[in-house]
Amino acid sequence: MEQHSGYHEKTLPADLSAPAFVNGWRSRALIIGAVFSIIGVILGFLANDGWAHFLRAWLLGFMISFGFCCGGMALLMTQYLSGGKWGLLVRRPLEAMTRTLPLVFLYFLPVGIFGVSLKKLYLWAQYPDTENALKNHLINATQAHSIHFKKPLLNPVTFWEVSIFIFASWALYTFLLNRWSLQRDADSQPNVFYWQKRFENLSGFGVVFYSITLTAAAIYWVMSLDPTWYSTVYGLQFLVGQAYGVLALVILTLIGLSSAQPIKTIFRVTEQHDLGKLCLAFTMLNIYLAFAAFLIIWSGNSPEEIPWYLDRIRGGWGVIATLDFVFHWLLPFTLLLSRDLKRIKRKLVVVCCIMIFARCWDMFWLIEPNFKDAARNLHFSIGILEYIFVPTGLIAFWMANYFSQLKTRPLVATNDPHVAEILEPEHAHA
Amino acid sequence: MATKNQPLNDPMLDPITGEDRVIAPGHTFKSVTEKISRIVLTSHTPIGWFGGLLLAGGGVSMLLVAVSWLFLKGVGIWAITQPVAWGFAIINFVWWIGIGHAGTLISAILLLFKQSWRNSINRFAEAMTIFAVVCAGMFPLIHVGRPWLGYWLFPYPNSMNVWPQFRSPLLWDVFAVSTYATISVVFWYIGLIPDLGTLRDRSQSKIAQFAYGWLALGWRGSVRHWVRYETASLLLAGLATPLVLSVHTVISFDFAVALLPGWHTTIFPPYFVAGAVYSGFAMVITLAVPIRKFYHLEDVITIRHIENMGKVMLTTGLIVAYGYAMEVFMSYWYSASHWEYFMMWNRMFGPMGWSYWVLVTCNIALPQLMWFRAFRRNVPLMFIMSFIINTGMWFERFVIVVTSLYRDYLPSSWGTYRATRWDYATFAGTLGLFTFLFFLFVRFLPMIPMSELRILLPQAKIHAEGEPLPEAGD
Repeated sequence: MEQHSGYHEKTLPADLSAPAFVNGWRSRALIIGAVFSIIGVILGFLANDGWAHFLRAWLLGFMISFGFCCGGMALLMTQYLSGGKWGLLVRRPLEAMTRTLPLVFLYFLPVGIFGVSLKKLYLWAQYPDTENALKNHLINATQAHSIHFKKPLLNPVTFWEVSIFIFASWALYTFLLNRWSLQRDADSQPNVFYWQKRFENLSGFGVVFYSITLTAAAIYWVMSLDPTWYSTVYGLQFLVGQAYGVLALVILTLIGLSSAQPIKTIFRVTEQHDLGKLCLAFTMLNIYLAFAAFLIIWSGNSPEEIPWYLDRIRGGWGVIATLDFVFHWLLPFTLLLSRDLKRIKRKLVVVCCIMIFARCWDMFWLIEPNFKDAARNLHFSIGILEYIFVPTGLIAFWMANYFSQLKTRPLVATNDPHVAEILEPEHAHA
Repeated sequence: MATKNQPLNDPMLDPITGEDRVIAPGHTFKSVTEKISRIVLTSHTPIGWFGGLLLAGGGVSMLLVAVSWLFLKGVGIWAITQPVAWGFAIINFVWWIGIGHAGTLISAILLLFKQSWRNSINRFAEAMTIFAVVCAGMFPLIHVGRPWLGYWLFPYPNSMNVWPQFRSPLLWDVFAVSTYATISVVFWYIGLIPDLGTLRDRSQSKIAQFAYGWLALGWRGSVRHWVRYETASLLLAGLATPLVLSVHTVISFDFAVALLPGWHTTIFPPYFVAGAVYSGFAMVITLAVPIRKFYHLEDVITIRHIENMGKVMLTTGLIVAYGYAMEVFMSYWYSASHWEYFMMWNRMFGPMGWSYWVLVTCNIALPQLMWFRAFRRNVPLMFIMSFIINTGMWFERFVIVVTSLYRDYLPSSWGTYRATRWDYATFAGTLGLFTFLFFLFVRFLPMIPMSELRILLPQAKIHAEGEPLPEAGD
């Protein structure tokens, strides 16, 4: 690269591995995970409805961890397609997220085994014989009609087949993305064109495939908790929500790592600002989809659709819905509008923490009102405390796994044309 | 499949990133300015331009005839009736508004995302937006039946104490489209100011000097001017960005808030927006390909632009396809609703089922060819694809409007729809109007922003302590 006198280009440090303090993060995550999980199990024994809530809260923890892992994979593929310097910065943390897939699959197993096979979570799994269930007033006529009609899809065999298929496909993608990334770094020549096209080819189809499989997963794992309700934008909302959470987590990771090498050298204020802007974009996109869906269903006010919202607004749920709006959109949006905030690390950390918390809060609002005891009836019970302890435990263990993965590879992909750009001083371009 | 046989020493490839260059090498600040300004300031107007203007003028005349007859006879000359009370007028309105979206996306969102390749195409894409909004805005006005009372659409205090229905998305449309038009015009004009200053300084004719000087608002190119210009551009980009989403979202609400199978679905807002960008980019290619050929602009509107636009079209086309797929899956089956099922069956296999398959072929099947790099880089094929996509997008609106309405809940109220010659004449007339305005634009204003193109030159990159390279030229 041509250099001019006085042009102070930085150089990458020799050691690109994650700093030692990441081990400390992992230990802390493990301790939190252990403490919260033990409390979660104790609550399961103590409360009358403890195990029912334990399983629901487990689903919440699984969906958040799954969002980080597979949402990370989607964002990883997106940065290969979009190009840009930000992609180089976030690549290795995102790869580390994707490699947590085995743990996420383990998290999924209780959902499938207890929730579907042992019929503890999903209404359609509990009452496959709709005629008898209706006769015994266990379900209403609408539920009976929906469960009966959707039986080819909503049954344990198809549930397991579809879930295993999508996990297997994501595993293949995770494997290829991670393996090729290492191979690219090991290549003795830059071969820029070759590697770019190879990753673009993989990611182009991958993003499409992920969108379809994520839609199937969101419908199966969360939307079908209420078999009567449907929304065509549901899968897309999950896709955007995952990107929202993953961006927040990746910014937290980079800011945390930026106190030491090698991230200290490459994480410029410009890229931090850009990532902050991306967060703002996804914050807007998130509320846009949620509000548009709400407005359409609210205006329609049809008996097939509106109960889903009424279950989540009436009987005390209005407070949760309002706070969901505040955490998910109002706070991040108003804060991220500030240019200064996006450029100050400690302030951006606060916003990202709010965003991740908002994902959990939103998932609680999506999951809990699906159940008869909670719909239009938000009430305190010992069991509902599971929503604090079980997801925190699961997410903390997931974090520990993520930090372990961060340690296994250099934090910067060196065979990338953007390395030279990212080592330039700020404002190298007019 | 990618191979390691990278084309070596290709001057059109950036040696560091391996990507196509945004503009061909060899240009200087001076050559860029001369090349673009010459098209406007030349005293020799190409004969082809006159021919094109004449042809487009024929379309405008047809529009005048069609609209005059409409005003004389009323909307009865169109095919609209019960149950299809919204016909070509709303289809054309949505189609034209959608086309306008690419301009706003290129000028606002791609600016915020620092996509420098936009610089060569943003000016005429913005112009296209304005002309498309002009064509679109005409349809609701002539559809109201009494266009001389069109101002009733706006809420204003009046002696009759009559107010529009604020809860209706049709009123939100009035605000959304008028805001969109205003911001688009202001954005376009602000972007033009430095180039108008250049034209003022370079023109030889007194009339041109006066006209461009008057329009340039005293632009001197001082640092203070540039700072204000950049600030204004960023502020307007920030304001325009939500508009890319909001305008077509509000238009999607026109349908989605109604309780009609085929209209009432939550995927409509994002898929309308994606569809708008899809058709908008297709129209940019439709315009860019002949322009670069006719004015020999292949070195500033390069294969990089065509390929990138192909990628944007493929992406937005896939979002649209996702929307169609979700509609089919949810309506046809997962809804467990007889009405939804019938709507989708009728849409696909009813008397007008052919229109659905035209839409699927044009919007989903054929655009998959853009997965191939060789296809995206083939200019004639991309030109043909742009027509296919815009045909598909027109049929998308036809399918949504007509096939949802003509057979609704009650079989006793079913009907059909067959457009009249006046429907076709009005639509074709707006194509003429759009082309006519565009011809005037390319002749009298710089269709490519000289000031923004100069930033892309390697000479503009600051190297040594804020100094550009010595070969920057003047």
